[in-house]
Amino acid sequence: MHPLTFAASLASLSSWWSAQSENFYICFVKNDRWQYITNGLWRTLEVALCAVVLGAILGFLVAVVRSTHDKHGRFGFLNAIAKIYITVIRGTPMTVQLLIAYFIVFSNLNDKVLVAILAFGFNSGAYVAEIIRAGITSIDDGQMEAARSLGLSYTQGMCRVVLPQAIRNILPALGNEFIVMLKDTSIASFIGLDDLARGGSIIRSQTYQAYIPFLAVAAIYLVMVMIFSKLLARLERHLRRTGGK
Amino acid sequence: MTTPAQAKSDPFLSDRPVVAPGRPLLEVENLHKSFGSLHVLRGITTTIRKGEVVVVIGPSGGGKSTFLRCLNLLEVPTSGRIWFGGEEIVSGGSLRRDGTDANLSHRERERNLNRYRSDMGMVFQRFNLFPHMTVIDNVTMAPRMVRRVSADAARRKAMELLDRVGLPDKANAYPQQLSGGQMQRIAIARALAMEPRVMLFDEPTSALDPEMVGEVLAVMKELAANHMTMVVVTHEMNFARDVADRILFLEGGNILEEGTPTELFGSPKNARTRDFLGKVKN
Ligand SMILES: Nc1ncnc2c1ncn2[C@@H]1O[C@H](COP(=O)(O)OP(=O)(O)OP(=O)(O)O)[C@@H](O)[C@H]1O
Ligand SMILES: [Mg+2]
Repeated sequence: MHPLTFAASLASLSSWWSAQSENFYICFVKNDRWQYITNGLWRTLEVALCAVVLGAILGFLVAVVRSTHDKHGRFGFLNAIAKIYITVIRGTPMTVQLLIAYFIVFSNLNDKVLVAILAFGFNSGAYVAEIIRAGITSIDDGQMEAARSLGLSYTQGMCRVVLPQAIRNILPALGNEFIVMLKDTSIASFIGLDDLARGGSIIRSQTYQAYIPFLAVAAIYLVMVMIFSKLLARLERHLRRTGGK
Repeated sequence: MTTPAQAKSDPFLSDRPVVAPGRPLLEVENLHKSFGSLHVLRGITTTIRKGEVVVVIGPSGGGKSTFLRCLNLLEVPTSGRIWFGGEEIVSGGSLRRDGTDANLSHRERERNLNRYRSDMGMVFQRFNLFPHMTVIDNVTMAPRMVRRVSADAARRKAMELLDRVGLPDKANAYPQQLSGGQMQRIAIARALAMEPRVMLFDEPTSALDPEMVGEVLAVMKELAANHMTMVVVTHEMNFARDVADRILFLEGGNILEEGTPTELFGSPKNARTRDFLGKVKN
């Protein structure tokens, strides 16, 4: 390469670099804009974690109703409600559910965070229910029979014998559901929730810079997903080590 | 034997009715079971006395498993009556979905069912150990949950039983670390931990490699020698010959013939029995 061309490209690289650090400064440092990102990040985590707990509780109850009905024909009415719930949630887009939750169902709730938690929790519950139900179905009938033959009640057999094995088997699917939900919470900007994705949006609208804020937001989501995947893999390994399949 | 006075202080035995004097431990009268249109049991009548070892033989599909499962109500009989320790647990007249008295509430019926089952040990062909628990937890769980035995007492009792089935060093192993024969012996210990009044075995050695059959049969023989009441479905004719007090030949949902091993193996009266014994003779 000609030394002059080389020097020129070096110069343009260094001017590109100084422009980038200027942009970085405008996006994150000036007017403390980094707080849009950090506050958004906590919001996102808050919504995702609360929603996953709500979804787990709901999903668990729905799954127990559904599989008890499948085996014993009990809970006919509850089972019908559970089926409608699962069908509706899985058959409509999350964005639409969120809008309906915000503008119709919980329209007199002013708390966007709470609405988002409820919407994502109810959504997640339907998927978790089907995952847990599949987990319960996958456990050999002989396990419940052995428990019953020892005098355990159905509930005791469920809690001590079937569910612990089912949950261990479905842990990867449950973790995956959480990760999908964590990313999905980004659509909460539709109702104006100040989450991580919206933090990027706000910075863009104030600075007219798109690259840096959105790439930063993407990187943060990516890192979160990688951290949770790692934690999950560790939990699975731990459960495998302490016996069981 | 346990006297009523002792029963009070023994956490395993308290709260349990004693067999009414003079009554057999189990009485089955005209038991029928259908799965949809498939009529599997077609009127079984028999009694099982305390301390008796009854072996059930017969061709595949004859209803042997269904009969055993009806005895502890894992299957709900379609009609017929069963008495357990003099108490009527299935009554044709007021048969409900789970086979107990229709006048009781759902909760009371469930509680009775659990009590009957906790007094009958069941050993399955496929062991059905709980894979997420250690051996000792497998054995102690039911006494602790159902009989409310203290952790200490349950553990002591479990160690005794593991000793009895020859596996005291496996207390902290998980089932999948054991061989089939070992798993079945643990399953027997698990059932014994409830101090059942009768043990039901459904082909306990059929899923085992041949070299492991002997160790399980040895445990069962020891039980029989110690006067455990047992109902055993098996294809092990030598075991039937050596250990059974009585053999039932079950085919097509009926007991076609019953008698002592000498009677049944020596001079079977029924042509179907002769036919079956001729086929399985080893
Ligand atoms: N839960 C069920 N639902 C429908 N049919 C059943 C059920 N359980 C058993 N059967 C049928 O009842 C019949 C008797 O079965 P059972 O298992 O009692 O026979 P078995 O004598 O134990 O045979 P095997 O020696 O093969 O174990 C079979 O035709 C079987 O298919
Ligand atoms: Mg069978």
